[in-house]
Amino acid sequence: MLCSILLYSCADTAKKNTPPRIQLKDTAIAQAESRANPYSPVDVSPMDMSYYPVDYPKLKMTKADNEPLVARIIYSRPHLQGRGLFHGLLSYGQPWRLGANEATELDLFKSITIQGKKVSEGRYILYSIPQQDKWTIVFNKNIDTWGLKPDSTKDAFHFDIPVTRTDNRIEYFTMVFEKAAPGANLILAWDNVEARLYFTF
Amino acid sequence: MKKIFITSAFSFCLFAVSYAQVDSAALPPVDKSPMDMSYYPVDYPVLKISDKVTEPPAARVIYGRPQKNGRPIFGSLVEYGKVWRLGANEATEIEFYRDVTISDKKIKKGRYTLYAIPSENIWTLIISKDTDTWGAFKYDIKNDVLRVPVPVIQVKAPVETFCMTFSKINSGCNLVIAWDNSKVILPVLFK
Repeated sequence: MLCSILLYSCADTAKKNTPPRIQLKDTAIAQAESRANPYSPVDVSPMDMSYYPVDYPKLKMTKADNEPLVARIIYSRPHLQGRGLFHGLLSYGQPWRLGANEATELDLFKSITIQGKKVSEGRYILYSIPQQDKWTIVFNKNIDTWGLKPDSTKDAFHFDIPVTRTDNRIEYFTMVFEKAAPGANLILAWDNVEARLYFTF
Repeated sequence: MKKIFITSAFSFCLFAVSYAQVDSAALPPVDKSPMDMSYYPVDYPVLKISDKVTEPPAARVIYGRPQKNGRPIFGSLVEYGKVWRLGANEATEIEFYRDVTISDKKIKKGRYTLYAIPSENIWTLIISKDTDTWGAFKYDIKNDVLRVPVPVIQVKAPVETFCMTFSKINSGCNLVIAWDNSKVILPVLFK
C-alpha cells in the first residue's frame, strides 16, 4: 500500500511538470509591459551588477571608497517561479550560464588570486558545471557573447568549489560579493544552493 | 485511491507555495528598475552565437530602466535644467570598444558615464570619465569629456520603460534614448 501511495504521488508530481502559477513574494518587476516597448522590451530575467568593494558606486558617491575597485560582475537574474533548481531548470554535469540572456561577465580591475590561482586583470565571462556536491566555475575569454553555447576552447580557468544547502530558498538567482578576511567571496546563491568563490588581492 | 490522489496533489501545491515564498533577507532584492544592456552592432551577443557577426563590437550601454507608471516624466519627475542620471541606480555606463568621434570630437576607447540635462526642446548629453559611481548625485563637471546638445523628438505612443538602444547609420551608429513622449539621438561615428 505504501509503495502504491509513493508511486501514485510520484506519478502525480510528474504530471505537474508544468509549474503551477503561484503568487511570488518578490516584487513583480518582470511583468510584461502593457504596451510593447518599440525599442527594447523589458527582460523577464532582469540584469543586475555587484561590485567589490560591496556597493562601490554608493561608497564612491559618499566619498567612503577607502579601498580601490577590485571587481564587478554583471549577470541576469532568472527566477524559480515555482520550479526547483534541479527539477526542471538545471541538470548535473550540464554547463549552465550562471544567469540568463547575455553571458555573465566579470571585470577584474586588477590582477588577483582566486582559489589560489593567479588571475590577470581584464574581462571574463563565467559559466558553471553544477554537480551535486561541487560546482565547477569556468572563466572564459569569449566575451560579449550570449550565455548559451559556451566555447570551451576559450576557457581560461576552472575552479571547483563546494556547494552548501541552505534553509532559505532564494527566488532570484543572486551573485554578490562579501568581505572576507583577507579578501572577498563571490557568493552564488539560488534556490537552496549556495557556493563561494574566494578572492585575495 | 482518488482521495490519495487529491491529498498528494494538495500537498504538492502546499509544498510549491511554501517553496516559492520563502526568501532570504540577507541577499540583495531584485531592483525595481531592472538593469539592461544594449550593444552596437545591435544584439551583438546573439549574432555571435549564431555565427552572424559581420563587424566587431563598437559600443555598449548598461543602464537602469525606470518606468513611467502613469507619471508625467520630463519637466516633472525629471526636472528641466538639472543633471539627470539617464537611468536609475548605478550611473549609466557607455563603453566604446574603439576610438569614436562624437560631435567632431575624438573620444578614446574605454568606459564612460553618461548623463543628460533635459529641457523642453533640447537635451545636453554629457560624457564623463567618472565611472563606477551611483546616479548623478555627485556629478562633477571637472570629469566632463564632452557635452553635446541634441534636439528632442516627440514620439506619439508614450514609452513606458526608459530605453537606450543603438541603430546603424553610415560609418557609425546612433544611440537612441527614449522615455515617455521624448526621444533623443546621439550620432557616434567610427572615425
